[in-house]
Amino acid sequence: MDNSVRDILARHRLDADRDQWQQRLGDVTAQDVEAALASRPGSYGLDKLLALISPAAEPYLEPMARISRQLTIQRFGRTIRLYAPLYLSNYCINRCRYCGFNQGNAFTRTRLTIEEALADAEILAAEGFRDILLVSSEDKRFIDTKYLEALAAQLRKTFSFIGIEIYQMPTVHYRRLFEAGVEGVTLYQETYDRAAYAHYHPAGPKADYEMRLRGPDDMADAGMREIGLGVLLGLADWRIETLALGAHARYLTKRYWQSHISFSFPRLRPASGVSAAEFPHMLTDKHFVQMMLALRLCFADAGIVISTREPAPLRDRLIELGVTRMSAGSRTNPGGYSGPESSSEQFEVHDQRSPAEIGAMLKEHGFDLVWKDWDRAFLQV
Amino acid sequence: MKSLHVNGVERQFAPDEMPATVSDLLGHLNVTAAVAVVEIDGVIVRPEAFADTPLTEGQTIELVRFVGGG
Amino acid sequence: MDKLIIADRQFDSRLLVGTGKFTSPKAMAEALTASEAEIVTVALRRVDIDDAQDDTLREIDRDRFLLLPNTSGARSAEEAVRLSRLARAATGIHWVKLEVTPDPYYLLPDPIETLKAAEILVKEGFVVLPYINADPILARRLADLGTATVMPLGSPIGSNQGLKTRAALEIIIEQSTVPVVVDAGLGLPSHVAEAMEIGADAVLVNTAIATAADPVEMALAFKLAVEAGRKAYESGPRVATRGAEASSPLTGFLRD
Repeated sequence: MDNSVRDILARHRLDADRDQWQQRLGDVTAQDVEAALASRPGSYGLDKLLALISPAAEPYLEPMARISRQLTIQRFGRTIRLYAPLYLSNYCINRCRYCGFNQGNAFTRTRLTIEEALADAEILAAEGFRDILLVSSEDKRFIDTKYLEALAAQLRKTFSFIGIEIYQMPTVHYRRLFEAGVEGVTLYQETYDRAAYAHYHPAGPKADYEMRLRGPDDMADAGMREIGLGVLLGLADWRIETLALGAHARYLTKRYWQSHISFSFPRLRPASGVSAAEFPHMLTDKHFVQMMLALRLCFADAGIVISTREPAPLRDRLIELGVTRMSAGSRTNPGGYSGPESSSEQFEVHDQRSPAEIGAMLKEHGFDLVWKDWDRAFLQV
Repeated sequence: MKSLHVNGVERQFAPDEMPATVSDLLGHLNVTAAVAVVEIDGVIVRPEAFADTPLTEGQTIELVRFVGGG
Repeated sequence: MDKLIIADRQFDSRLLVGTGKFTSPKAMAEALTASEAEIVTVALRRVDIDDAQDDTLREIDRDRFLLLPNTSGARSAEEAVRLSRLARAATGIHWVKLEVTPDPYYLLPDPIETLKAAEILVKEGFVVLPYINADPILARRLADLGTATVMPLGSPIGSNQGLKTRAALEIIIEQSTVPVVVDAGLGLPSHVAEAMEIGADAVLVNTAIATAADPVEMALAFKLAVEAGRKAYESGPRVATRGAEASSPLTGFLRD
């Protein structure tokens, strides 16, 4: 494997000079879409993905949904895994234009001590969660590797899966966290378009596009089993972002064949200091669904993750379409589970239902709610 | 009598008849055209070295050739 | 059609041919020519002193064909490594088809000994083409070690049963980071066309050509089948499409 993901994206013009793709998207015919639908479900091809996300595929959402649903049920069963995010800090040294935790925004900043984080975690465990996602802004001085190691070491006694969605770190640090019990890392590229990336990340360590791109490689090298990919929908044209996301996922599945990929679909929503006018690429529910289905049809085994950013009625529909993991009862402000509602949120939670309510909804739809997938505890020395 | 093990078979030679080099052995056995490579006591001897590789009694020699195969 | 790339060499032909089981060296040479193969396999054996034949290599034009010695007969990694080193010394070629087959009935390859031998040979600078059962994980492990290809079998050597391992082959082809050469059990031109249609990079045929009533014509048939299968693969086969849908229970909620 000579090609890095950087080279692959450059070669296909998925990171810059993307205009040629508009032409190609427009050229896709109904026959192309039907050929894509007739190909082996869950197999990847750049042309196949192109056809499925094209305007020509919009009348085909129903057959896409049927294939996606069938494929997901075959691979994952009629189960959805629930996880809870645990926000550790909203102090941040980056200045991402889209984020409520942007360094330039004035609001009450909070960070949790390990004890406070464990208190929140206990509440989550009591609700039934065994899958926890530790989330933090870039607050390296406080939420450092040592902190995370210590926290994970405690959490692993209760939780069978610990994931992190935090600032990027080098392989050696990911390795330390892996040894401490963290098994999955979610790291969104936010946007694969270099120009958009530069615009939305003007300052801070996160401003480095190529470093960000290397993140999944680094975490895979460290042994992380679960790699979460995604773009922040709204920063650039969703269709081309999906092509780039697909190319990235394909590269990772070939190179790191022992790691498992998941796709998340964070959609920009209003938050403190973030206006809709600034983001011309917001997508409709219809296109959101098209993107999700297209990726499932090209990646039979990928996880598809939906957070509480999405409203309840939509989430209820999405579970029939190929979702494998969802968050519930989320609080996106640090200390949000145990403390008063005084700290600020990263994004507005649009599905406020408790895990119990989500569980009931899933049962109604014929799904079994799964709290945990497997127990690393069996392998612990 | 001096002996050499050649392709699993012990061959005896009168002291002054024993082949001095690998080339001599191949000529004596009339297999020069067939042999692709030789192994003496586990050490490989390339074709270029056949004429210059001396033999000592008691050595185990493998004469190997190429044949058809899938 | 695009070229087959193995290690640092490029080839026009995606048909590899074995040289065993022919009635005579002359028949073999004529069939090889008809096949237009560029890579041919040979084996190593002891010289039969009481009935020494000329070196088989003499019949093979080494300017035209790349000789690929195999380690057939090896029943362990140690034997395979020994044969590989002998072959390299004999020809100066550092390519080897790694074959470790302790089972004398079906000649199925031993995955553990193959992995052990591959690791050693890659370190010694060989271009290794390992013959394996159609095991996708084993294929990944070998590619990770640095083998130049993987060569999964279609069905046991000489059985002429075609792609009995098709489902596993498809997975290997999808996941492989090195060229996939389907080897063994390919008894008919339709078998190799099928292998190429599902995306194999090349195929290796021996028994079916060597034991045909007319090996030259059969070699030609295989050559054409490989080309046909590859052309079909490259032009993107279309499968019959479904009709239009009337109701939309899953996505109807998205109607604006």
